[in-house]
Amino acid sequence: MKNLSILVVDDDPVIRHLLEQRLKKENYKVQVAEDGYVAEKMLRSNQYDIVLTDLMMPGDIGGIEVLDIAKEINSHIEVVLITAHSSVDTAVAAMKKGANDYLEKPINFDELFLRIDKIANIQTIFRSAQDLQMAMDTTENVASSTIQTLEMRVANLQESLDKVETTLRDGQLPDDSKIHTALEIIAES
Amino acid sequence: MIKIAPAELKLISQYIQTITGIYLDQSKSYLFETRLSSIAETHGCKSYQELHTKARQDPSKKIEKEIVDAITTNETLFFRDKGPFELLQHKILPEIIDARSTKSPIKPRIKIWSAASSTGQELYSIAIVIKELLNGTSNYSFSLSGTDISDAAVAQASYGKYNRFEIERGLDRKYLQKYFTLFGDSWKIKDEIRAMVNFRKLNLMQPFTALGKFDIIFCRNVAIYFTLADRKKLFNKIADSLSDDGYLIIGSTESLTGVCPRFVPKRHLRSIFYQKK
Repeated sequence: MKNLSILVVDDDPVIRHLLEQRLKKENYKVQVAEDGYVAEKMLRSNQYDIVLTDLMMPGDIGGIEVLDIAKEINSHIEVVLITAHSSVDTAVAAMKKGANDYLEKPINFDELFLRIDKIANIQTIFRSAQDLQMAMDTTENVASSTIQTLEMRVANLQESLDKVETTLRDGQLPDDSKIHTALEIIAES
Repeated sequence: MIKIAPAELKLISQYIQTITGIYLDQSKSYLFETRLSSIAETHGCKSYQELHTKARQDPSKKIEKEIVDAITTNETLFFRDKGPFELLQHKILPEIIDARSTKSPIKPRIKIWSAASSTGQELYSIAIVIKELLNGTSNYSFSLSGTDISDAAVAQASYGKYNRFEIERGLDRKYLQKYFTLFGDSWKIKDEIRAMVNFRKLNLMQPFTALGKFDIIFCRNVAIYFTLADRKKLFNKIADSLSDDGYLIIGSTESLTGVCPRFVPKRHLRSIFYQKK
């Protein structure tokens, strides 16, 4: 099983079934929704990496709305729109709203798999960047707490040293008293 | 990609240090290649030596600017590490407001400087903290300045537009909704915050007394790229630019021990800030 879960949204049962079968054959985890309403429910209750949605669907929730909902739930979901040649302009507008890519009907499966591979690569890079970021944050937290403790300690020691110096240079005090006071300052530091 | 010759490493490394203060380890030749190769190619140079000569002879300083933009890192976040902003909100701002309001009958002006403002996230975060803290009252006037060595960074900061990768980490959802507007696939800072700040270009290696004195200076994670000698010079100049009761905040993994004896560290909760002795 490839480590990507895909939601296919299409009101046309033939295309929906075809996409499901082909993607499953390529070992992707696939779920299907027959319209935007079902897609919304599924998006809200499951985790997906990619949403493959038809642009034109009946009802108030079309492909653009599916895109908005998916991005609102999780901005890392990649959305690929499936569109008729005549709606390419709409698809391009959708890409400006954050859609990852679009495919024209009839679907060329080689092209589809290429796009999915590309998305998978980007997601892998993104995850490793996140992992690195987490590792860096942890290192930074530990380092900063160590450095801050040392910074304060050094400043306190410097203050004590200054006091010792002032005491030892004091012309009014007898030597044994100076040493006594200096030792007290050191003991307190 | 144009390979850098061993003989060129020292030359280019010194040149970069002169123009930016950034000290790049000469053993990391890939760093020079990945960042400078395309600039060399664009200007028709076959070697880095040639690029160096061309950059120095260019009266418009265009090539130098491109090199600065390529070398400086702009890795920064909104509210990058919460500590300094909590410090600002709960300790520094209340204290400075208190100190300033008793001294003068006219509206006190509090000057804040983000000394390496990169693409602006730090200064906008400071502006958001102030906006939240003052909550509409305006008994104080704030001047928020951001400076950076990179023209490209200053331009992006001034524009105040960020893509989702730049915005997601660190920024609370409530601040995103309140202070940003969705702009295509990006987020743009709202005018009420944008109007509080100004950005301009400044090279920290050069004198900056002209900026005047500040009450609060943020200089985080920039001096780490400098040599110790340059770091000493920088913090000495910063001490000159800080008001006597002003506050300095440096990066959470930075230290001024052995760098600038004019500052003493002070601790508040989990953060450290510095004041002049």
